Amino acid sequence: MVAEAAQRLSANAEIRDLSSKPAARLAAGTVNRTSPMNRRPFALLAPPLLAILLLGAVPLVLVLVWSFWTWDPATYWIKPDMSLAGYSAILDAGRWTVIVSTLLKAAGTATLCVFLAFPIAYVVQFLSGPRLQALLLALITIPFFTSYLIRSFSWRLVLGRTGIVNTMLQHIGLTQAPVDWLLFSNFAVVVGLVASYLPFAVFPLVLAFRRVPPDLIAAAQDLGAGFWRAVATILLPLTFSGIFAGFLFVFVMTAGSSTEVQMLGGAGASIVSVMINDVMRVANYPLAFAISTVVLAVIFTLVLVGNVTFKLSSLFAEEDR
Amino acid sequence: MTRHAAPGAFASNVSRRQMLKLMGLGGTALAAGRLGFGQRALAQDAGTVAFWATATLDIGEKWPEFAAQAGIAPEFTDNGNDLGPVIARLAAGNANDLFDVGGFQGGAEKELSRQGVIIPWDLSKIPNYESVWSWAKDIAYLKQDGKQYGIPTVINADSIIYRPDKLGKVDSYGTIFDPKLKGRVAMEDAWINSAIFTAIYLKESENQPIKDPGNLSESELGLVMEFLIKHKKDGQFRTFWNGWEQGVQLVADEEVDAMTGWEPIVYEGRKRRLQVEYAAPVEGYEGWGNNTVLLKGAEERGTADAAHRFVNGLLGGFYGCELGKARGYIVPTDKNLDYAKAHPEEYAPADVEKLAEHVKAKFAGKVFWQNARPDNFQLYEEWWQKLRNA
Repeated sequence: MVAEAAQRLSANAEIRDLSSKPAARLAAGTVNRTSPMNRRPFALLAPPLLAILLLGAVPLVLVLVWSFWTWDPATYWIKPDMSLAGYSAILDAGRWTVIVSTLLKAAGTATLCVFLAFPIAYVVQFLSGPRLQALLLALITIPFFTSYLIRSFSWRLVLGRTGIVNTMLQHIGLTQAPVDWLLFSNFAVVVGLVASYLPFAVFPLVLAFRRVPPDLIAAAQDLGAGFWRAVATILLPLTFSGIFAGFLFVFVMTAGSSTEVQMLGGAGASIVSVMINDVMRVANYPLAFAISTVVLAVIFTLVLVGNVTFKLSSLFAEEDR
Repeated sequence: MTRHAAPGAFASNVSRRQMLKLMGLGGTALAAGRLGFGQRALAQDAGTVAFWATATLDIGEKWPEFAAQAGIAPEFTDNGNDLGPVIARLAAGNANDLFDVGGFQGGAEKELSRQGVIIPWDLSKIPNYESVWSWAKDIAYLKQDGKQYGIPTVINADSIIYRPDKLGKVDSYGTIFDPKLKGRVAMEDAWINSAIFTAIYLKESENQPIKDPGNLSESELGLVMEFLIKHKKDGQFRTFWNGWEQGVQLVADEEVDAMTGWEPIVYEGRKRRLQVEYAAPVEGYEGWGNNTVLLKGAEERGTADAAHRFVNGLLGGFYGCELGKARGYIVPTDKNLDYAKAHPEEYAPADVEKLAEHVKAKFAGKVFWQNARPDNFQLYEEWWQKLRNA
């Protein structure tokens, strides 16, 4: 019986290995290059790869190229006169400060989301049975049930002068008048962003936590490690890839958001996407493309550095199990 | 900047989608237009016109009734009311391949005629134009080089929405800039409206050297925007609002006591039993119009005559009555009242007359016309960015 089970496990491992690392096995020369099994992954990969190239890479390359072109008032479009005017205009009217504040806002929101997502993922993975796990994960997806617009608008009703929070604060006697900074402020923007994008931090962390054997925590505690030491020395190092993935998802989503800032921010509050929209309205396409290129470059750099540092791909690898 | 869009819609909050559309699909669409993709069939039905206009001009399910009366069936497409993409699609894209008649915010005619993407109307083919109120015919943007490029189709004038229970009677834009109301006022998050309101105030109450508040020179614009920036830094504005629902909410939830804005917000506030009024400022109103223009493509496809019949129908009375009933907006012609009197079972003549008199009364005083495309439009955006960052 034991030998049979071992044989089955070995066979399963072989199958898993074949499906997960065909390229590595191909490179190592351990598989037959002409086998249909080996060609299949590449055939399967071709359509999505083509779609990514056509729908993702081509527009990005166009944005990059057009950012160096010049706006032509005669045709109301751009012409291929190479220029850095779009990039130099970023330095005008304080536009660069919007880019910097967007990145800071995105980093702050992403950090806050990761801080909140970590204990949530811990509870989901280690303190919940299968039914509670399913329930908690379902609850986390609730923000997706409504549009960003409705969600942001509802925060105005919660944080406003006559909103729930202010009414409660006055009712219990903590304040005598409505607190104005709750709404139309950076505080309100961050609340709206965190509420919108928290699930994007939770799910990668849950995935990362699933890769942590519970026995490791138990063993550490048996050896005298307290809860926080176990978190610091075992959980954090083993879930770095999930932490970074969650951070990255929220960072990118926040950097591209506009609704929360427009609806909850103070007078004229801005973020990169609002600024691009403003610029597009007056047909200053090279500037809009230049702003997009700068932001994309920052995000790509972040992804590359993060991938090298935290090995994002390990989040989905099997062999570390 | 979706102005005067359908009440109930979250009018201006489409920026993320808009941006993606513009960045991703818009470029492709522009390119496709240049290659001639998506061209409207040349041999189309002579009884239809493709009407590409702001949602303000849409009468929805009433179009079939309009078609039965005017003898021409419009195919309505919402243009989003954002003039930047609209002009770009006409000048460098495929809009002229797809649409016959445009309905745009006033001020774009100069740029569009210069580009050659719109052509003049032949007023002899629009007999109802005779009935258009004379002051509406005199809107400067409608004519370029003596030729009639725009037909005034919807007209109104905007000012200040305020709460008389908090402020008493308001009759000046000075209320918006009054330090005593710090943090209790708002303006719209759109230079197209907020710059002109401020310019009107500075010109009329502060005697600042401003010639045309709707078309500010470089130095005038600097003066106006520095004034706004100073007040923003002082914490004068609670927020800059965006779109219909946000505007209503600011008033309904007592976030502000006064704000510059659209008159229908007052109607909506009153429906919600709020005590709100619309000011008649001593400095004057900001007048605005949505004008219909004849796209060059209509002539090329042989649908120009149908387009003239369609616009004649817009001025025929039924359309004005319906638009007034549905949105409280006015088509500037007495044909509306004539139609209501002939069809009292459909439209109450008293209501139609009341609305007409209300708008006429506004225009009896000082009005400065909104200009959707001032000469320095890119500079306006640059200053607006400085204001955002202040």
